[in-house]
Amino acid sequence: MRLTCLQENLNRGLSVVGRAVATRTTLPITNNVLLATDQSRLKLAATNLEMAITCWIGAKVEEEGAITVPARLLTEFINSLPNDKVDISLPLQTKTLELKCARFEARISGVDAKDFPPIPKIEQGITTKVEVEALHWGITQVVFAAASEESRPVLTGVDAEFDGDLLTLAAADGFRLAVYKLSLATPVSQKTEVIIPARTLAELNRLMTDQEEAVEITVNPNKSQALFRLKNIELVSQLVQGTFPQYAQLIPQSYNTRVVVDVAQFLRATKTASIFARDGSGIVRLVIVPGGELTPGKMTISARSEEIGDDVGEIDAIVEGEEAKIAFNGKYLTDALGVLRETQVALETTNPSSPGVIRPVGVDNYIHVVMPMFVQW
Amino acid sequence: MTRQIMHIDLDAFFVSVEQVENPELKGKPIVVGGRPDRRGVVASASYEARAFGLHAGMPLTTACRLCPQATFIEGSFPKYRSASQRFMAILTDFSPYLEPVSLDEAYLDVTGFESIYGSIYQMAVAIKQRIKDELRLCASVGIASCKVVAKVASELSKPDGLLEVATGKERSFLSPLPITKLPGIGKKTERILNGLGIHTIGKLSAMPLSTLKSHFGASGEILWRYAHGIDHRKVEPPSAAKSISRETTFGKDTRDHSLLKATLRYLGERVGSQLRQQGKQARCVTLKLRYADFTTITRCHTLRQASNADQTIFDTGVELLNKALSQEKQAIRLIGIGVSNLTEPGRQLAMLDSSAQRLGQLNKAIDRIRKKYGFTAIQTGRTLLLKEINLSSS
Repeated sequence: MRLTCLQENLNRGLSVVGRAVATRTTLPITNNVLLATDQSRLKLAATNLEMAITCWIGAKVEEEGAITVPARLLTEFINSLPNDKVDISLPLQTKTLELKCARFEARISGVDAKDFPPIPKIEQGITTKVEVEALHWGITQVVFAAASEESRPVLTGVDAEFDGDLLTLAAADGFRLAVYKLSLATPVSQKTEVIIPARTLAELNRLMTDQEEAVEITVNPNKSQALFRLKNIELVSQLVQGTFPQYAQLIPQSYNTRVVVDVAQFLRATKTASIFARDGSGIVRLVIVPGGELTPGKMTISARSEEIGDDVGEIDAIVEGEEAKIAFNGKYLTDALGVLRETQVALETTNPSSPGVIRPVGVDNYIHVVMPMFVQW
Repeated sequence: MTRQIMHIDLDAFFVSVEQVENPELKGKPIVVGGRPDRRGVVASASYEARAFGLHAGMPLTTACRLCPQATFIEGSFPKYRSASQRFMAILTDFSPYLEPVSLDEAYLDVTGFESIYGSIYQMAVAIKQRIKDELRLCASVGIASCKVVAKVASELSKPDGLLEVATGKERSFLSPLPITKLPGIGKKTERILNGLGIHTIGKLSAMPLSTLKSHFGASGEILWRYAHGIDHRKVEPPSAAKSISRETTFGKDTRDHSLLKATLRYLGERVGSQLRQQGKQARCVTLKLRYADFTTITRCHTLRQASNADQTIFDTGVELLNKALSQEKQAIRLIGIGVSNLTEPGRQLAMLDSSAQRLGQLNKAIDRIRKKYGFTAIQTGRTLLLKEINLSSS
C-alpha cells in the first residue's frame, strides 16, 4: 500500500470514524482503525460492533492495500502533525505502517485488515432520504428523552416510524415521552417501524453538522440494521430488537389548564429554581393562576429545600382553564424547554398526578409529555 | 454573658432499668450485654460489679472470669429506649435547650433559669427528684459555665451526685484531676502525655499550646482549651438525621447466602420503616460488612430516583452484597445497611409501569399494620428464615 493525502483531510476523517472506535472491548482489534485504498480514495473505518462508521478521503493512490492500526495512537499522531502532505506506505509482506509528513517519520505496528470485523453491507431494504436540517432538529428534540439505563433495552432507542412521506421519531424513558414528526424527501414504499439506538442518532447528529446533502437511510429487510449515508460518510448501526411501547395512548387528549408562556423566561425560571431543588430530588413546583378582567395570568416556578432556602420566580402567562398546581423534576423541564426553537410554549395539565404536555406554539409536529412528581403542597 | 450549662447523666443506666423492673437485682453485681458464653461486650455494669474491675466495653468472657457470681442479662434495647425517651421528656420540661448525647446523657442550657428555680443548684435538685420519682432512676448532674466542665463535674459526682463549679473556678476545679477525667483523652493520648510527664489536668494546662499542637495537631488546641476549662460549644438541639442505618453481628461468622440476605432484608425493612416515619426518601444505600478478621468495608450505591421502598433498599443492598462476596471469600461477622443523602418526600411518577407506586402502597399498608400490632406482626417471606434460626438456637 502506498498513497499520499493531506494531513487536514486525514485528521478530519479520523475524527469522523473515531467515535465508533470501541473503548472497552473484548475484541482488541476493534480498538483499531481500518485504512484501505478504495480506487482513488483512502477509506477509514471503525466499529464497536453496535455501530460502524466509514469515511472516504481524497488521496493519490500509487499501490493498493489495507491495514488496521491502533486508532487512538494514529489519531493523536496525525493530529499533532503540521498541515502538509502525508505519505503513507505499507511495505509488502509487513504489518508496519510507515508515515511521513514534513520532517516527521513514524512507524506504527498494525494488525492484518483481514482480521477486522466486516462492516455490514446494506444494499436492499427500505430506502428513503431526509433533509439534513429537518433530521437534525428531529433528533435533537427527542434523543435526550431516551433511557440511559439498560434495564429496558427498547427504551434506550428512538422509535422511528416511516410511513409514506412522514417520519415519526419517539423516545421515552419511563418518565417522559418526546414525539417529533418530519417529512421525508422521498416516500418509503412500505410502512416500516424500527428502533434506532439513541447513541447512533446522537452520533449521526454530530456527523451531520457540516453536511448539506440529504441523508439516505436504508433499513435492511429483516430490520436488524440500518445504513445512514452522508457525503463521503456511511454509518451502519444495529437496530434495537423488541417492541416499542404503544405511546399514542400515553398522550393526554384533553386538559383542565393550558398555559402559554415565553420559552426563555420559563427556562430561566426553571433553571433558577433547580439550583434550590438540587438536594430535594429536583422538585420544581409550578402554580398557574388565570388572569382577571384587567390582570394578566401568571405562573410561579418555585423550589425549596429545608436546609438551604427557597426561590420563587414569576412569569406572565396566558392561562386557559382553572388554576393549577403541579410539580416536575426540574431537569425534565429544562431538557424539554432547552431544545425548543420556538419562542412560545404551551403547557397543558389535567391534575397534579397526571402527565403534563409541552407543545411549542405555532407548530404541531412536536409534543413532549412529562410525568409530574407527587409532592405535598 | 456567662452561660450556665448542666450535664445530666443517668447512673449505670441499663442495669438500673433492669433493677427497677426486677428489684431483687438491687445491690448485686449485674452485667447487661449478653450471656457470658456468647461473644459480646459489657454494655453496662452495676456499681457492685464495677467493684470487681468490670467496665463497659470489656469482653463478656473477661467479665465472667473476674466476677463469676454476677448476673448476666441479655438486655432489651426497646425497654432502654423508652426509658430514655421519658428521661429526655422530663428534661425538656425544665429547659427547651436540650442536647441529647446518648440514651442516658444530655446537656441542658439553663442560662437565666435561676429566676424560676431560685438557683441553678435547686433546679438540678428538682430535676434529680423528678427522675427519681417518675423513673426510679438516679442521675448525676454537673453544672458549669461550659460543656466540658459540666461533664467532668457530673462524672466526678457519681453516683447520684450533684456538683456545681462556680464561674471563674473552672481551672482550679480541673487542675488537680488526673488527665483521664478530661473528655477526649483516651488510652493513646494518655500514654503520650504520661511520657511527657503530665499526669494532671493542671500540668496539661501549663503546657505551651505549641507543644500540644506539635504532638496532637489540631486536637492539641482542643485539649489545651479543655484543660483551661474553655469550651465555646453551644448546646445544640438534635438536627434532622443525615442518615439511618442498622447493623447486626452474627452469633457465628457466616458465609450462608440465604442467612445474609434474610438479615439484610430484615435490617433494610427496619431502615425503610424509619425513613418513611420521618417522611423522607434516600438517594444513597450503603452496605457495611465486617469480615472474620475484623476488616470492615462499606460500599454504597446512588439511586437514580430517591426512594423509601423496602424493596429498593433491599435490592440495592443485595447487589452490593453480591459484588462484595465475589471479591472476598472470608466469612462475615457483621452486616449492616443504611441510607443517606436524605431528601424531602416527593416521588417521580412513572409513565409506563406503576411498580413504584404499587410498592409505595404496599409499604404504607405494612407500616400501618406494624404501627398497630408491632414490627414482627407481619414479615416478608425472606425474613422467616431468621425466625426459624432464632427458634432453633434457643
